[in-house]
Amino acid sequence: MSKPAHRAGGAPKAAVDSDICPVCKSSRYLNPNMKFLVNPECYHKMCESCVDRIFSHGPAPCPIAGCKRTLRKMRFREQTFEDLKVEREVDIRRRVAKVFNKREEDFETLKDYNDYLETVEEVTWNLILKIDVEATERRLRQFEEAQKAELNPNVARRETQSDSSAPSDASRVVLKKGATQRKALSASSGNTPNPYSSQDGTEDTGFTFRGLKKRTAPEPQKPFDPYSGWSVEPQFYILQDDYNVEWLTQSKNDIQHLAGGYNIKDFYSQALCEAFSGFGVFIEDEIVARDRQVSGDETLATQMAATAGTGAKDVRMDDVF
Amino acid sequence: MATKVSSSPAFSSPALSPRPNPPGPSGRAVPKAKALAILNATKSPAPSVASTPGDGGMDLSEKMNDEVRRQFVIGGRLGEGTYATVYAGHYRHDPTSLVAIKKIKVNADFKDGIAMDAIREIKFLSELHHPNIISLHAVFSTKDQNLSLVLEHLPAGDLEGLWKNGSISYTSADIKAWSNMLAQAVWFCHENFVLHRDIKGNNVLIAADGTLKLADFGLARSFAEPGRPMTHQVITRFYRPLELLYGARHYGGCVDIWSMGIVIAELVIREFFLPSETDIQQVHMITEIFGTPTEETWPGVSMLPNYLPIGPSGFKHPLGTSYFMQRFPLLGADGVELLRGMLTVDPAKRFTANEVLRHSYWTNAPTPTKKEMLPKAGGGLKAMGEDLKRRGGEADTGRVDKVARKLDFASMVQ
Repeated sequence: MSKPAHRAGGAPKAAVDSDICPVCKSSRYLNPNMKFLVNPECYHKMCESCVDRIFSHGPAPCPIAGCKRTLRKMRFREQTFEDLKVEREVDIRRRVAKVFNKREEDFETLKDYNDYLETVEEVTWNLILKIDVEATERRLRQFEEAQKAELNPNVARRETQSDSSAPSDASRVVLKKGATQRKALSASSGNTPNPYSSQDGTEDTGFTFRGLKKRTAPEPQKPFDPYSGWSVEPQFYILQDDYNVEWLTQSKNDIQHLAGGYNIKDFYSQALCEAFSGFGVFIEDEIVARDRQVSGDETLATQMAATAGTGAKDVRMDDVF
Repeated sequence: MATKVSSSPAFSSPALSPRPNPPGPSGRAVPKAKALAILNATKSPAPSVASTPGDGGMDLSEKMNDEVRRQFVIGGRLGEGTYATVYAGHYRHDPTSLVAIKKIKVNADFKDGIAMDAIREIKFLSELHHPNIISLHAVFSTKDQNLSLVLEHLPAGDLEGLWKNGSISYTSADIKAWSNMLAQAVWFCHENFVLHRDIKGNNVLIAADGTLKLADFGLARSFAEPGRPMTHQVITRFYRPLELLYGARHYGGCVDIWSMGIVIAELVIREFFLPSETDIQQVHMITEIFGTPTEETWPGVSMLPNYLPIGPSGFKHPLGTSYFMQRFPLLGADGVELLRGMLTVDPAKRFTANEVLRHSYWTNAPTPTKKEMLPKAGGGLKAMGEDLKRRGGEADTGRVDKVARKLDFASMVQ
């Protein structure tokens, strides 16, 4: 498809052909450093100096007779594969695979994944064989944008915002072909019914795949808790700032205690904790729990003991000795 | 009796009866058999019959001890010190659940009973259950009346080894994460009225998953009652606060906060913050930076037993924030503020553990690194053995340390 018809000669001629630029007709014999480039728009081969000459001043139509595509210099590149058909197919496959990047673990069942692969292959071959290109391209684009929106909702929001201001701009300035502009253009000419949009008014994503697992956004990071969730607030009493006890006054005002950093409040807290730490402990429940543990039902016993205790994590324990 | 410990090796039991709090001071040595019987009673329910003929003449406590001992397989030796030998080991029923077994040596000083360090360590570790405190799985004694502590397996070295290891680089977020885990451990001890009294870089061990674990409770005690003196000869010298150097006998959790501040400072500058050879030099080092304490800045300081009047070097002014900002740039302004709060010479003005954790430094940017992302040294089993065998209060600064101890000995003979 890429080779013009007039060059379809015998095999020996083709070998010579590959060394002659179809645009300027200069041959490798005269210019040993000649390099051929192709543009993925139409895959017409031409030599480097022709590309420089024709496209240096901006986009220009393809010089090959019968090809009216506008080409840009930037996209010219050396071909990787000898056969330009293969080159084109690889390009298409690369582009399609970039959009359809689901993996097996994204699907509920293997069958769903296989169905998906089949759809992808169908799209690829549609593009390769140029069947229904327009529609396929549009669906591909829609799907790509839907994917992008799903991955990053902020981008989608930004785009809808810029859309609201876009129509006036788009009518005046023709920007580079970007997603925004394409959207804006399609919005301005949006009265044509889209055959692929679903009936219930939900946004059309080009393709729908059965059995696709819902993507769960990563949990937003919780603010750092310097205590890691531990709390030792007293449950059975309220600690006062000071207790007026006669036998403590001497120590309380002793300069040695004050200068050494002895904190009398720690003593209050310790005394009260030790006095009250028996609360919420029910021995009969614990005996039941222990007996259960002996009978081997350990996990249940642990739960029992936990509920039989204070109901919360009681971190204050008494002396062993 | 057939119950085995549940698959989780945690030292906990659902059938934990309330234990009466004995009157009088805590931290007193108790006869060993009784202590073990109580401790191990939490592990497995006591049999109803005490001693029956035909069980080899063992009494109840010996039988219980034997049962605990048989749960573990003791492996190779990891390290040996004057105080303890550390072995690798694992649970018999599950070879993947590793433990470290710290076998306390029979000490010449404690002929009748066990070493105070061991008592303290068992007493407090069996009480404190927190992810940032080393967990004690069990205690048993061997035939030659040696006590063995079954401790958590912590293979990734300690905090001092971490900053000394030049091949590891870490960021301010990592420092924040480590500091926070240490602060939580200290806070938890203080909330449970336990003074650690030997916080230093190589008593803070690192678990395989990156969690910091405060270890070595050999010098720990519970908060004293008012009027009851405590010894001031605690805490390794580099980490000892000024009030202990001045011989204060009545102190509180503030001594641990100072040590914690020094540990965090060392983590930032990756060298010893206040190294010294003698106690006098330590006082000098502290006053060089934090200024000479006066009655205005620290009421009552001159009344402390070993207070030194202003020496020949003269009065020192405290260094300002700019010095700390320059020395500890990784902490940032809020971190420096917190560090200065922890390193306040007047213990009454020093932050409490709760105030430390409430500081905005922890919640400000940068967010502390998640513990599984923290850089790891991988000091290996050897380092863990080294850390656990040490006696409380011992510094190990290599060869110089040994020389100093010899000199000490000579001076005592005189």
